[in-house]
Amino acid sequence: MTPPLLSVKDLTVRFKVRGAAPFREAAYLTAVDGVTFDVARGESLGIVGESGSGKSTTALAIARLITHHSGEVRLDGEDLLALKGGDLRRARRKFQFIFQDPYSSLNPRRRAAEIVTEPLASIGLVPKGDRRKLVDDLFEAVGLRPEQQNLFPHQFSGGQRQRIGIARALAPNPALVICDEAVSALDVAVQAQILNLLRRLQRERGLTYLFISHDLGVVQHMCDRIAVMYMGKIVEFADRLSLFNSPLHPYTCALLSAVPSVDPDRRARTKRILITGEPPSPTSPPPGCRFASRCPVAEPRCKTEPPPLREVREGHRVACHLVGDDARAPV
Amino acid sequence: MTDFATPVPPEIEQPRAPLAETTEMFLHNHAAVAGLIVLVLVVLAAIFGPSLYGVDPYEMVWAPFTPPGSEGYLLGTDYLGRDLLAGILAGARVSLTIGMAAAIMSVFIGITIGAVAGFFRGWVEEVLMRVTEFFQVLPTLLFSMVIVSLFGASLPVITVAIGLVSWTAVARITRAEFMRIRELEYVMAARASGAGNFKLIFRVVLPNALPPIIVQAALMVGTAILFEAGLSFLGLTDPNVVSWGQIIGSNRPYILDANYTVTLPGLAIFVTVLAISLVGDGLNDALNPRLRAR
Repeated sequence: MTPPLLSVKDLTVRFKVRGAAPFREAAYLTAVDGVTFDVARGESLGIVGESGSGKSTTALAIARLITHHSGEVRLDGEDLLALKGGDLRRARRKFQFIFQDPYSSLNPRRRAAEIVTEPLASIGLVPKGDRRKLVDDLFEAVGLRPEQQNLFPHQFSGGQRQRIGIARALAPNPALVICDEAVSALDVAVQAQILNLLRRLQRERGLTYLFISHDLGVVQHMCDRIAVMYMGKIVEFADRLSLFNSPLHPYTCALLSAVPSVDPDRRARTKRILITGEPPSPTSPPPGCRFASRCPVAEPRCKTEPPPLREVREGHRVACHLVGDDARAPV
Repeated sequence: MTDFATPVPPEIEQPRAPLAETTEMFLHNHAAVAGLIVLVLVVLAAIFGPSLYGVDPYEMVWAPFTPPGSEGYLLGTDYLGRDLLAGILAGARVSLTIGMAAAIMSVFIGITIGAVAGFFRGWVEEVLMRVTEFFQVLPTLLFSMVIVSLFGASLPVITVAIGLVSWTAVARITRAEFMRIRELEYVMAARASGAGNFKLIFRVVLPNALPPIIVQAALMVGTAILFEAGLSFLGLTDPNVVSWGQIIGSNRPYILDANYTVTLPGLAIFVTVLAISLVGDGLNDALNPRLRAR
């Protein structure tokens, strides 16, 4: 087996909670708690989860856009979390980021062509004279007209702006592209266009995607393998087919049962699992399984003993005490 | 058969720089335009007035306290018989120069301190903001009087003294803008693109933070002129250089006998500072995107 392009090991990110009373020990919110996964070259790995599950924080920490607490992130064997200053800036050409909000992610005072060439200018990859041709190519690749290069961001629609963001991410010819909710700010018709564009670019350029989304439909369309996160931990990790056809973790089952379907057979087959209650406080997570307080099948040991993430089937890992070696879902 | 015309490709909207919109917005504001016209006249008078008028403001040309209009002297003469119009024209140069130099200086200090504090946050911000607060709570007039009396009453010292006491507002505005803008995604995007802190501060955040700073800088020219007038009035100025405040200060004892010697240069200060304020307000409206939508 070839070594993975991206390998994340025990990544932990925590934030100091502000507003605590003085002279009291600072409280920490552990947003990402010991996340481990690999991404193979050329695949799309999806991370799904509800708001606050830590999926975006994971993406930002891997991209070195927020400070991590501990762990290891290797891209092509290079430890990203150990890089500093100029080394980090030079390494950034290998991993690029596509942001969620196409409105706030483009500098309103720069023209489209300047925004797209920003990575090249910052890292100093391509001499100024040769950038012209590259911008032409990138604009064509993402489906923008060449005469739009001199427009300002406010003169574009949301979908067009996201295309500019994609062109910017592709400019330094990266190996890994991290898409943080790249389509969730767009309306559905435009979402489909952008997703197809991303897939075509992946084929043409051999890109590897780390795809963050809360939308299961989008993830199903885009990703080869999927990690489900809940409160900072990966609860289930599987390839697309196993995850959607035979989900194991009660949380994943509940998520999938909530996806609306137009297929009457599927509607009849799936039983709706309703989750009640609120997630526990993220500043003081429960000692056991973090889903235990809302889980329909929780046992006493779920509340005290954290379940390890273990492989129950080839390539299918799950963190639940109730999934036996026969790999049958408890709900 | 209907003959279908070849579809005309939709016309691309011409790139309109934000500057064009701002200019248009400014021109719609009549008070601001009036202020700008007055300001331009004052600046022109300061540049060309002394050589066109050709009377030495330091020369005793006629009897003291000649009222305006008599003996060919449009604005009369002061207590030493010096031509008041020549004095006001020459004083305009000094007042405007000091006003602008002090404003530039305070903008420079304020942007540097505010940008570093707002961008890096943490203990850097704590230290810089405590320094800013220290300068804010100093009695400004007293502090600049101390500087002037320590280092002598020359124009550069007066400029530095005014600049040193008035940068705090710029620093606080800059810091607030930086704190807001640094959280926006395009700053993070620029960082992901490999931009270093220097580039992030000066090429990404600062250009977007400029509008309120420009407004503050414009208004600061007005306050600096007032400040200089105040110092000169108190005698803390180079007695050999004529400025508006200095004319008022030196004629002060004779205010009951010849009030025009004080009123006319006072009027010059009033009109100029008012014009600057109007322009500053107009800039504020024109540069504020929330007002633009109206």
